[in-house]
Amino acid sequence: MDDIGEEVAADFREALQDLSTNARFEIVTLTNIAKENANHGLAIAEVLTQHIKEAPASKTLPALYVLDSIVKNVPTPYALFFGPKLYQIFMGSYTKVDSATRRKMDEMLKTWKEPIAGSISKKPVFPPDLVRPIENALLAARNAYQDKFQSQQQHLMRGRPVGPPSRATPTPPMGRAYQPPPHGQYPPHGDQPYPMRSGNTPNGMPHRATPPSAGPHAHYQHPPPSQGPYGAPAGINIDKLKDDIQQLIQLGTAEFTQNMHDDSIKTRLGALLKLQEILQSQNLPQEQLMAINDQVAQLAVNMRAAATQPQPPPPSSYHPAALPPYNTTTHTPTPPVVVSQQFAPPAAPVAAAVAPAVQLPAVLAAALGRPASNVAPVPVAAAPPPPPRPATTGGTLSLDSILGQGALAALLAAKKPATPQQTATPVPPPAALAALRSPPQQTPPFQPPPPTQPAANPLTQNPSALLAMLRQSGLLGGTPSSAPAPIIPSLPPPDPNIITLTSASLKLPRLHLLPYLLDHLGPPCSQCGRRFPTSEEGKKKKTAHMDWHFRVHQRVAEAEQRGQHRSQFVSELDWIQSHEEPDVDYNAPSGEGEEGSESDDNDWSGGVRGGRKGGKGKKEEKKKRWIIAPDEGGVGGVGDGGAGVNKVCPICQEKFQSRYLEEVQDWVWMDAVVVGGQPGMGGGGKRVYHGSCWDEVNAGVQAGQQQQGLTLLGKGKREREEEGEEEIRGGVKRLMR
Amino acid sequence: MSIPGLGQITAQQSSAPATRTVALHPFSEWRFQISPASTAACRLVAGTAERDGTELAQNKTYSLTRCRSKIVSFTGATLEVSGEFESENVKHSPTPAASPFVAYLNLHFLLQARRTQASQGGNGQGPRVMICGPAATGKSSLAKMLIGWATRQNEQPVLATVDPRDGMLALPGTLSAAVFATVMDVEDPEGGVGVGCTPSSGPSAVPVKLPVGYYFGREKVEDDEQLWKDLVRRLGSSVRAKTGGDQGVRRGGVVIDTPAVDFKKGEVKVKNEDGQQQVEQGGGVEGLMHVVREFAVNIIVVLGSPDLEAELRSRNNKSTLGEPIEIVNLDKPDGVVEQDRQYLLSSRKALIKDYFFGDSKRALSPSVQSFSFDDVVIFRAVDGLDLDDPPQVLERAEITEEMSHWTLAVMDASVNDPLETIRQAPVIGWVCVSDVDKDRRRMKILSPVSGRLTRPMVWGRWPEPYVNLLG
Ligand SMILES: [Zn+2]
Ligand SMILES: [Zn+2]
Repeated sequence: MDDIGEEVAADFREALQDLSTNARFEIVTLTNIAKENANHGLAIAEVLTQHIKEAPASKTLPALYVLDSIVKNVPTPYALFFGPKLYQIFMGSYTKVDSATRRKMDEMLKTWKEPIAGSISKKPVFPPDLVRPIENALLAARNAYQDKFQSQQQHLMRGRPVGPPSRATPTPPMGRAYQPPPHGQYPPHGDQPYPMRSGNTPNGMPHRATPPSAGPHAHYQHPPPSQGPYGAPAGINIDKLKDDIQQLIQLGTAEFTQNMHDDSIKTRLGALLKLQEILQSQNLPQEQLMAINDQVAQLAVNMRAAATQPQPPPPSSYHPAALPPYNTTTHTPTPPVVVSQQFAPPAAPVAAAVAPAVQLPAVLAAALGRPASNVAPVPVAAAPPPPPRPATTGGTLSLDSILGQGALAALLAAKKPATPQQTATPVPPPAALAALRSPPQQTPPFQPPPPTQPAANPLTQNPSALLAMLRQSGLLGGTPSSAPAPIIPSLPPPDPNIITLTSASLKLPRLHLLPYLLDHLGPPCSQCGRRFPTSEEGKKKKTAHMDWHFRVHQRVAEAEQRGQHRSQFVSELDWIQSHEEPDVDYNAPSGEGEEGSESDDNDWSGGVRGGRKGGKGKKEEKKKRWIIAPDEGGVGGVGDGGAGVNKVCPICQEKFQSRYLEEVQDWVWMDAVVVGGQPGMGGGGKRVYHGSCWDEVNAGVQAGQQQQGLTLLGKGKREREEEGEEEIRGGVKRLMR
Repeated sequence: MSIPGLGQITAQQSSAPATRTVALHPFSEWRFQISPASTAACRLVAGTAERDGTELAQNKTYSLTRCRSKIVSFTGATLEVSGEFESENVKHSPTPAASPFVAYLNLHFLLQARRTQASQGGNGQGPRVMICGPAATGKSSLAKMLIGWATRQNEQPVLATVDPRDGMLALPGTLSAAVFATVMDVEDPEGGVGVGCTPSSGPSAVPVKLPVGYYFGREKVEDDEQLWKDLVRRLGSSVRAKTGGDQGVRRGGVVIDTPAVDFKKGEVKVKNEDGQQQVEQGGGVEGLMHVVREFAVNIIVVLGSPDLEAELRSRNNKSTLGEPIEIVNLDKPDGVVEQDRQYLLSSRKALIKDYFFGDSKRALSPSVQSFSFDDVVIFRAVDGLDLDDPPQVLERAEITEEMSHWTLAVMDASVNDPLETIRQAPVIGWVCVSDVDKDRRRMKILSPVSGRLTRPMVWGRWPEPYVNLLG
């Protein structure tokens, strides 16, 4: 951009800043500036685009009017400049303005499809291929909104303060906007015992207020109390400790990958890695090990708490190989020895070490010569989303106060939600324990947590606790600032080799792998639950995926009007050559008027090749569409009575031939399609064409019947070869006529 | 895109069915049964939950009907449910270790590791897993879970069934396979593998699955063991061709669901669906070994039958590709209900209906057309012992009233093809004979699409005729 351009742009920007009303005068002025500086049009367009993007909601519409005015008065070059960004400009604005403004925008959009008022050119303000995507997106968003709106409605109806406050319009509890199929398409009536749908409740939801029929109500019972007391006391098992640290590193890494910019996470992860290194390289006295163990236990609880935030019982809350104490004694008949054979390190020692660890705090307290309660109480109020049940005091709780001494280590040892030790353990009030570990039962106001929410994690606020501790125990020199930036390992893949295909190995809970099917895959799609990573590539995929959802939303409605039918299955060859491509629409092979695939087979003739009786061409058969001949007294054919229907194909100028079709027992025009108007709604605007002629003319245009996710590789080529044959046959046919 | 405040539409009736909350602890299941006549709704309010390996989206209301199924949570979940259930209960697992899902999940992660290994070296062939065992051991459910989990991790495995009773993406009586690359339809009564999930001419809110299928037309393997074996071979070779040509699918591997085989103490029993046992000489295990060969199976998962595991171990220890075959027996999860005859019958009928008329999400418009007897070519398997050499496998079926209400398989072959070709051809769809007029030599046929029936059709002996399909 040259200097003058820059100047013009700056002036324009300034003028725009002041534009806060729809004052015609100002808009005209700005339009004139744009007109006079059309040679700097690109700069102006950029400034305006930027302004619309950044303007507060109140200033958005005036700015859009400027755009509208410029484009209509100075279409060249501005329509060209705004065109590529039109979608973003429009949709971006649409999302931020209120509904009154949206209506104005809708009106504006409408005018863009029309020729400029007063202009001789019949060209629309913006070409349809720029406007249509916007219309589609709006339609899709409306549909999607309905879904969302309705589900929010459900919350509201249950008195749940969820989601943005929306109107209190009562809405049926389910039903997607696009869902209800028209009644008319149902079979006359169904097999009595299996009425698949009833006309009254097309979306399959009984709108009756009858309470659900008897059946055992899904009342939650606490898991059966069982399992003996915690295991016997012992000292610190270093392998166990190492393993715990390894788990925390994994957890921390996961946390870090999700929240790269949180320094505290990074610092903590660095400390953990350092700690791991120390443990691996040095022989530490038992006392220091205990101190570390203590700290690690705390950290485990906190990181767990943090990881828990988004969802009630956290996937990451599970401890890898750590079998809960009772497991080794009661549930798993497999003796620890066997376990360690199947478990590659570091997991192996863990199982054996579990029981000792449980008693740790007491031991630790003794060893350190201070009351165990000195172990910093950890506020965990935020930890499990379910609000504590009445048994607890609410507000902030220390784990110790809830669970008693030993709980930290117990939790560390059995990081998965364990069965309450109701009978054996004197201290923990079972209710509180349950509240900690699992969603509460008889507490309907259980709140779905917001999908992503940075956890306010006690330890995150003091990430250097571990470092401080390490320093204090003389394991680590220097000051916090000198802590080396940690090398962040990439997310460790689940180590497959520890699982063998034996029933003993398969039965060992490896709950640390669970996140690989859940959180590690990224947040789920709100429509279908499919997860997408938060990486750049993942975002792109997600965008494509959401686009797909919206396209489908829209097309479902269209398709319902059109009437659909089950497609024939593809041939063996097509199946072998097909390729699943998630979120990619089925695309007709290029150069084909009609894809002739699973999505548009109009009879049973597709698929197989050769040996067909009578040697009818594939294309000819595929295009075999007919209508009841209008002039032979056909009933309900092309418009009632058929008067005024063209009897000559407008494309090839040939008369339609009537013939008696056995299967309908009526006279029909073969290879005929009705275009325009609504079938059966009078003859207005409706023309009959040869199906084949119509397709030829519209070759490549017709992309309406896309099928999601399937691309037939190699099909295009094969069909083109066949088309070659068709050409010849077609030529012969024409000659014969 | 979410546009807040957009399109406040319609005021509608406010009568909401009573909803209630189901809380699931980690590794517990909500099991339910919903009759074909009723519907229920389920919404995941918090946590994570899944059906047969496919996660539920949060806050989306799923409509369920006609199924016996379960929703499982590994992390804990709160569901909101409403509607009519025939039965329903929550099965808690005292500890994850006590849950059968631990083994299933581990199995998945093991397969996942094998997939990674396969693509890092070797032939790129992911695992070929055969799941077998007695009736009511959760074979199909496990198969679906393994597929669902794999697709969540971006794999594209093949799910194949050689159990003619299943009707996976096909009508019952069919052996079939399909690649799964995306989510399954949680609302589908068959858990995402019903025939309702196959392509139609319109769009689908859940990606459709594209099957290849071979029509067996019988309920039990032993009803026509030779045909079953031939079709298993066909299906196996199609799947091999598929995995050979598509790297992603090759890596993803194959999971194969098999007919129930109850093997005990030297005898092989095949259980009827109504619980009667039929003793049979070796057929069941032989059948499984046939599958192992044709699909180059290298991992066999037996559910709930150490005897069967032992028997299979004694058979063969090398896959068709020369790898060692690994075999494991897992406990049958308790609480898997043996489906009663009436339930299965109604499911089959519902599937037939879904095929022609669509489901609650997609209403389809099939056509009923009248055909002359001379316009259709219908074959039927030759019944009884055939002494011809080579044996005649098919014969032209005489069209009689008896054919009414039967579904016929439309074969991807030409009427002039050799009978053997027709017999083993892939099926491209079904039609249903709605009426036969012997005097006028005309018949009415319900078909997904209108048009001539130029393909050979096969009149099987199962599934049974559906008398009231057209009312
Ligand atoms: Zn989605
Ligand atoms: Zn024409």
